[in-house]
Amino acid sequence: MLRVAIVGCGKIADAHAAEIQRIKGCEIVGVSDSEPLMAQQLYERFPVKAYFSDLTELLEKAEPHVVHITTPPESHYPIAKLCLESGCHVYVEKPFTLVEREAQELIALAQKTDRKITVGHDGQFRHAMRRMRALVQTGFLGGRPVHMESYYCYQFGDSGYAAALLGDKQHWVRRLPGKLLHNVISHGIARIAEFLTSVSPKVIAYGFASPLLKRMGEKDIVDELRVIISEDEHTTAYFTFSSQMRPSVEQFRVYGPQNGLMVDLDQETLIKLRGKKFTSYAEKFVPPVILAKQYIGNLTRNVGAFLARDFHMTSAKKYLIESFYRSIVEGSAVPIPYREILLTARLMEAIFLQLGDKHLAAPAQPALELETRLTTT
Amino acid sequence: MNQTEQDDFVISFDDRILVTGATGFIGSRLVGSLLEHGFRNLRCFTRHSSEPGRVKWLSGCNHGEARVEVFKGNLLSAADCAEATRDVAAIFHLAAGTGEKSFPSAFMNSVVTTRNLLEANLNNRRLKRFVNVSSFAVYSNKEKRRWNVLDENSPVEMRPELRGEAYCFAKVKQDQLVAEYGRKHGIPWVILRPGVVYGPGNRAITGRVGIDTFGLFLHLGGSNPIPFTYVENCAEAILLAGLRKGTEGEVFNIVDDDLPSSRKFLALYKRTVRRFPSFYVPHALSYGLCYLWERYSNWSGGQLPLAFNRRRWHAYWKKTHYSNEKLKQRAGWTPKVPTPEGLMRYLESCRNGEGHA
Repeated sequence: MLRVAIVGCGKIADAHAAEIQRIKGCEIVGVSDSEPLMAQQLYERFPVKAYFSDLTELLEKAEPHVVHITTPPESHYPIAKLCLESGCHVYVEKPFTLVEREAQELIALAQKTDRKITVGHDGQFRHAMRRMRALVQTGFLGGRPVHMESYYCYQFGDSGYAAALLGDKQHWVRRLPGKLLHNVISHGIARIAEFLTSVSPKVIAYGFASPLLKRMGEKDIVDELRVIISEDEHTTAYFTFSSQMRPSVEQFRVYGPQNGLMVDLDQETLIKLRGKKFTSYAEKFVPPVILAKQYIGNLTRNVGAFLARDFHMTSAKKYLIESFYRSIVEGSAVPIPYREILLTARLMEAIFLQLGDKHLAAPAQPALELETRLTTT
Repeated sequence: MNQTEQDDFVISFDDRILVTGATGFIGSRLVGSLLEHGFRNLRCFTRHSSEPGRVKWLSGCNHGEARVEVFKGNLLSAADCAEATRDVAAIFHLAAGTGEKSFPSAFMNSVVTTRNLLEANLNNRRLKRFVNVSSFAVYSNKEKRRWNVLDENSPVEMRPELRGEAYCFAKVKQDQLVAEYGRKHGIPWVILRPGVVYGPGNRAITGRVGIDTFGLFLHLGGSNPIPFTYVENCAEAILLAGLRKGTEGEVFNIVDDDLPSSRKFLALYKRTVRRFPSFYVPHALSYGLCYLWERYSNWSGGQLPLAFNRRRWHAYWKKTHYSNEKLKQRAGWTPKVPTPEGLMRYLESCRNGEGHA
């Protein structure tokens, strides 16, 4: 039985506890929060054996094999370090760390102590993303990706978190180097990082506060971001983060030399984009039929997954956690390669560096070329 | 106000009173009620994010003999709580995590904040009352028969986490915490549990009447009385029960007289505010649907959240009568605004699309 602990008992910890209890072969032996009441409320609502307000006590008394870190990001590094040093495997919620250097150190420490570590990029394991990955591995694209587009949008109006952030000048998100962006864009960036092979992608970032935020007198938060990423003059990518564009989409598109793929994370659909064109007017009539057929196929899959009780809003988190646990128990590869975790951290750091402290309308400095060698698994 | 009335209260008109959630729907009316009764030393705790117009309204109350101080802070900060409660003789704690769907968020904004306020007052010898504003949501109603009378002796939800409602969980825990601090540390508390607080500015139709699903309103209340309390009546009840002598350690439900049935209210709403399609779901059917939803939610491991379940049905849609006898007898409260008039004001404000003060 794998002994699991959760550190940090806020909103996201609920999703972890809910998914962990659905996984066979593990038990939550303890939860911890510096606020004892928060630890207690999680303990009371889930099958948890004990609760603590001190991390060291949790590690000593509960003796977990795996620790899930669901605290605010600024504490990820010290807590993960302590857990690794204590002999635990570690699942760190996104964003992995505040800066790339911390990410490198944690992964190096995990390798040195022969422990495993992963990051909560569960969006990578949504049903449609998994199907897309399988297709790419069969060579559907016809070679290395030529171009990618990753959209990650965010609606302030729908989020209690956003209201809390905008209303609180002391909110912890404001202390992150990339502020709001730091806490939310890693899912969208990781999708691009997965398909980059270079260790030195070029990054050009452009960010600004939307007119909505400006009207609210908000000066510190960038909620509109456009990024161009390129490597080796072969593969390029656009990343878009927007709080204002409608529809508010979460999509990933990857185009190869022969075909492309489009994943809509909101609708959980995967669409094959055919490279070859039909002759003459056939191009106007046949592809819509093919697309309609694909959408019906997606609908059927989604309904099937729902009927099979595998379509929870957080089912991707369960998949990632389960895969991570399997990698621990079986000694197999971690579900998210360390290279991808590090490259995501690197791309994010490059973006935040260019946005600078004052979030200038134009890039604060020339496109950053990253030279440091990436550690690989 | 005269000396006779002051003698009924545990504090004097010059004693400092802290009101949390002072810019809120009930809180702003409570501030008005306190001033009207002659209490003239108020400290209003507001969040940094509170709507500026409402904060300005509070600041505008600071004239003449009345001292109304606006204190901007965060109840999650122990330091802010300590500063805000300095020299206060009574605390009306209305701030809460309403509208939160997440259990941790609702808990943090209701229970942790309350604990901070209570901790800040452990050595406050001036404190005469800690008035905690809770909710009808805490009552279970599960073991009671149909058409029972729900009063202060009715059982509270023992397993609030199973209601699938973050607000209920947080409020049950908050009430427990207040009583525990009273027991262990002698904090003189009073708990007020309003029913459905309505009035100009609160446009939503309460879930006790029904729910809007995919453009069709499912009417679940039927002949059930809706435990309405008009916002000004509610504020008055909080003040009187909170500060009257002899109410320490007591729980009071707040509900008005002459409660309309859900059916009557819905008809009135449609006639006065706007017309929309609705479908009446008989009680037996709504119970069955809640049961099936609960079973499916559990069977599927939460693929559908536990939004509908039998506990919730018992709490919100079971045929129940409500009593305000204790509030009338012990606190000397009577609803100033009769229900027909309150409903008329409310529905007119809905029709005109008004926000609250």
